Amino acid sequence: MAQKLKDTILNPILKGNPITVLVLGICSSLAVTVQLKGAIVMALSVTIVTALSSLVCSLLRNTIPNRVRIIVQLVVVALMVILVDQILKAGEGTYAIDKQLSVYIGLIITNCIVMGRIEAFALGNKPVPSFLDGLANGIGYGLILIVVAFFRELLGSGTLLGFQVLPASYVPNNLVILPPFALILLGCIIWVHRACDKDLQEK
Amino acid sequence: MNTNSNVYTVIYTTIVVVIVAAVLAFVSLKLGPAQQANAKAETLRQMMAAAQVASTDELYASNNDAVLTMYADNIQDAYTINLKGEKVADLGITKDNIELISNLKPQDKAIKAGADATLPVYVFKSGVSVIPVYGAGLWGPIWGYIAFNDDCQTIAGAYFDHESETPGLGAKIKDEPWFREKFAGKKVAFGTDRLFSLAKNAEATGADNAVDAITGATMTSKGLNEALNVWFKAYEPHISVAAFLAGIADENSNAEEE
Repeated sequence: MAQKLKDTILNPILKGNPITVLVLGICSSLAVTVQLKGAIVMALSVTIVTALSSLVCSLLRNTIPNRVRIIVQLVVVALMVILVDQILKAGEGTYAIDKQLSVYIGLIITNCIVMGRIEAFALGNKPVPSFLDGLANGIGYGLILIVVAFFRELLGSGTLLGFQVLPASYVPNNLVILPPFALILLGCIIWVHRACDKDLQEK
Repeated sequence: MNTNSNVYTVIYTTIVVVIVAAVLAFVSLKLGPAQQANAKAETLRQMMAAAQVASTDELYASNNDAVLTMYADNIQDAYTINLKGEKVADLGITKDNIELISNLKPQDKAIKAGADATLPVYVFKSGVSVIPVYGAGLWGPIWGYIAFNDDCQTIAGAYFDHESETPGLGAKIKDEPWFREKFAGKKVAFGTDRLFSLAKNAEATGADNAVDAITGATMTSKGLNEALNVWFKAYEPHISVAAFLAGIADENSNAEEE
């Protein structure tokens, strides 16, 4: 049991990472990784949304009519996303970040990781493992987001979390700011991940 | 229990939707005031950045209360006008009465339709008057605040913002201080066909009312150019009256000197 729980938590972060292995949630990882601050808020938001929606859907799993289960899941996910968005808008410190992330907070609804985990895991498992599975998938997604954002902000603006890190003589690279570079960076991360983990390599 | 029957499905989905709606309504009600306060402080920050009340960095480092106090300390008069340039209503200078950024969109539509628009004017104690501009960028709305000196023609300062312009290209209208700083000292050519020109190589013509467009952000620049011209045009009747009055005041003071 303990081993199974450990797998539930560690698998999405390492061997089954939603971005680098399952290649889900790519869209937002290209869009909101220009600055580290935005990426961190996005990572937290997605983690909260996946964890809570998995928990709620798992609690409801025996009552949901099979024919409308996707719709019910969608309503639950939408509820969580709107709650997160409203709370971000209400916080004095988070308002500016919410404005910067603009539509991408709302678009968490369409993030395949959220629905994917509910369909694949939460509907067939008890609430606690489902909650942890959602949490771990969110963290796995968030980690990659933060790594990508770290390099993009460092090379694209010469700053980290808004503080100047590289010397002023550094000319910010505009390509790094544009989404294609995030895809290149993501490719590199997948490459490193596969090189380190022999199980992921195809024969 | 048969969870696949039609009756069950209909009742189940109805209950779920009602519960979700109730939760959302409750949260929206509870968080509404805090969100409103944030939106108001944001509007004031941008307005005061244009009016040069404080530096942009300082405004964004201040919390909401400090921003409200700063506004109360610096504002002299705030009112709305219609498209004929007549004063419609006093907004009052209490901090509760400002037109939020979200209110600019319906006004923009009203201007373009020639319908009844109520356009805000904010007069600061330093003598500058701030007006908003609003339009469409490449991906979403763009807006800004333009501060005029008391000659009602020379721009004292400007601040621009956008919802979703491309980072590093169109987003420069907000992110790069040099862009908004270029507007200071420019003169809007009220009374002519071309009020303001934000275009490629516009500065090379040496005109007073021209600022270069941003390289790589053609659509954002075009949108901003349109926003500036549409809104300046809408304010033209009011501003020309104000300029006339300012001219009389000047002549009077000159006469006194003689």
